[in-house]
Amino acid sequence: MAKQSINGESATAPCSGDRSKFYLHPGQLFVASESYAVTTILGSCVSVCLWDPLTEIGGINHFLLPMDVGDDQASLRFGNHAVRELIEEILGLGAEQMRLRAKLFGGACVLEAFRSRENHLGTKNVQIAREVLQAADIPIVGHDVGGDRGRKLIFHTDNGSAWIKQL
Amino acid sequence: MAPRKILLVDDSETILQMEQMILEKGCYELVMARNGEEGVAKALETRPDLILMDVVMPKMNGFDAVRHIRENVQTRGVPIVMVTSKAEAESMETGYESGCSDYIIKPIDSLELVAKVKNLLGE
Repeated sequence: MAKQSINGESATAPCSGDRSKFYLHPGQLFVASESYAVTTILGSCVSVCLWDPLTEIGGINHFLLPMDVGDDQASLRFGNHAVRELIEEILGLGAEQMRLRAKLFGGACVLEAFRSRENHLGTKNVQIAREVLQAADIPIVGHDVGGDRGRKLIFHTDNGSAWIKQL
Repeated sequence: MAPRKILLVDDSETILQMEQMILEKGCYELVMARNGEEGVAKALETRPDLILMDVVMPKMNGFDAVRHIRENVQTRGVPIVMVTSKAEAESMETGYESGCSDYIIKPIDSLELVAKVKNLLGE
């Protein structure tokens, strides 16, 4: 069973055109100055998608846990580090911070019994992403977070378009 | 309070031992199964609070085992975490469609596994 999210996103499967394709695993980060269609699958994990509309530089992460517990644990698996690292790597490719736009996906809670809880893992993952983006003054222009289903996400790094299929 | 019960389903003794080492610190009762078919039977027999399920296994693969567990009214509500290799991760769309609750990638990271387990057990 599938459902396409229409919260600011394409309601039909995207045409990725000539874009190269990349599959993003949990704990990874991907940035590009060329056009890519990046696919990932999210449960309670979260992906932040960032792009600069002028230079068409974009990138995406996929983190599993909200916070690391010290410098020696810094890893792209943790949201606080993964979002900062994504911003730095995109800027390193030549994007301009004041032009960056963000979209936020994932953070599901698949168990009905826990959905009313405010502190399940998915909620914490979404919250840390929002906090880091807000601190960097990067607007979130689209999101599809929470809920009770996993998601397949396809993100186009050059223009920020995104497609979500609920799984 | 009785310890929470976790069913570990994997055909690799190494993976089972690794999961056991990581989770035994959490005072869980651990039950093992070595293939999907045995996993379905143990799920019905032992009524676990959570299942960690490998994907590629003899007799019945993890996706089919999840479908069977979801089809049974007595086990359909139990959270299931798929434990996949990177190569299998791209097929996790099938995993969610079969009814899994979340997934982790091998090699298993203890911090990730404990966080997912605690989250799905509501701890």
